Amino acid sequence: MTKLGRQIGIGPTDNTSDQRTPRKRLRLIPAAARESFVPCVPARVLTRQNEWDMTRISPDLTRGDGVPIEVTGTVRTESGRPLRNTLLEIWNANHYGRYRHIEDHSGLKLDEHFLGMGRVVTDDDGNYRFWTISPGAYLARPDIGRWRPKHIHLSVSGGSARLITQMYFPDEPNNVTDPMAILMGDAFERNIGKTYDTPGIDVEKGFRFDVVVGGRNATFFE
Amino acid sequence: MTQHRRNALKSTNEDTCGPYFPIYFEDESLEDLTSIHPGVIGGASGQHIILRGRVLDRHGDLANGVVMEFWQANAKGIYRTPRTAGHPDIDPWFFGYGRLRSASGEYSFRTILPGAADGRAPNITVTLFSDGISRIVTQVFFADQPGNNRDPLLLELDDVDRARLMARPDGRTVDGAEVYRLDIVMAGENETPFFDDFVS
Repeated sequence: MTKLGRQIGIGPTDNTSDQRTPRKRLRLIPAAARESFVPCVPARVLTRQNEWDMTRISPDLTRGDGVPIEVTGTVRTESGRPLRNTLLEIWNANHYGRYRHIEDHSGLKLDEHFLGMGRVVTDDDGNYRFWTISPGAYLARPDIGRWRPKHIHLSVSGGSARLITQMYFPDEPNNVTDPMAILMGDAFERNIGKTYDTPGIDVEKGFRFDVVVGGRNATFFE
Repeated sequence: MTQHRRNALKSTNEDTCGPYFPIYFEDESLEDLTSIHPGVIGGASGQHIILRGRVLDRHGDLANGVVMEFWQANAKGIYRTPRTAGHPDIDPWFFGYGRLRSASGEYSFRTILPGAADGRAPNITVTLFSDGISRIVTQVFFADQPGNNRDPLLLELDDVDRARLMARPDGRTVDGAEVYRLDIVMAGENETPFFDDFVS
């Protein structure tokens, strides 16, 4: 008899969530099979020179439109161990809410000077830093007037740590109607970047976003 | 293995990768685990296979833009982790981690048929990231492997669910790789069983 685990919630007003969320509860994994569910991602250092600075396509070119920001943080396991040499793949929409992904047919304005995709690797203390243009919100459900709030996508992989998440922005009215934010409930607060001033750095403001990779994945090989 | 829960930091919530996971991040070496690079002699040991199929939503439509990750043992049944470093059966040309993004929702992953790890039948752990969900994970097996009837994960499932995780040869061979097919159904009728790797 299968032992049952969590039921995944369906994001309210999110059509794709309704289409793709399993309706059955997740099955528990028997002890003998647990280890086989924990991947160990080999170290990949695929970053090109300028990938940490997404505000411009290359160092010699003009910046993209909008507000240049810095995002920094530390990546750790739940027990506080820093995750070093961990790859962060980052992507966000431009100032107008448009992605340079070939499947974004929203018709929102493309920015000639912005790519919106970058990669950084954490240092020996688990710290990362990147610059980007603050992304625009965009109308995800024109029929009901629901906007995706400003957000930056981050995919974290290194060793057995594996997490895809988003950083949101403080005091954004669209946060409260976002389906994923609603599912997170009180825990959503942890996905909001914390502002800091950036005097002397060539960005308008900074956001601190510490990442804690939870669950068995991050700690399995400690 | 003990997890120290005292003073545990609260984990960052997983979130959806949305519809626009960058194709720009693609890495062909993660889509074909049999070869290091077309310009390099040598590669992983074992029988080449292609695992192929469709990822479907609850209406039977293709899950466009799905990101799939794979994790498996090598042909001798050894996973490559810090715990197996130095093991004599490690294949130096094989890590066992793969990733692809499917624009259409149809997937094709070339790899080595995994060997049976200790006490298990040959299997590949498959993780789906997609718009509309954060992450779901399952494990795929291969029809007619003798160890299937003793595998501890398969023994937890009824016959119907067991069949939903069984990849079957479809009679084709492509560039020396036998093709196995399995559709993964994210929700609804014929829903694939998914597993809770946080709690269990």
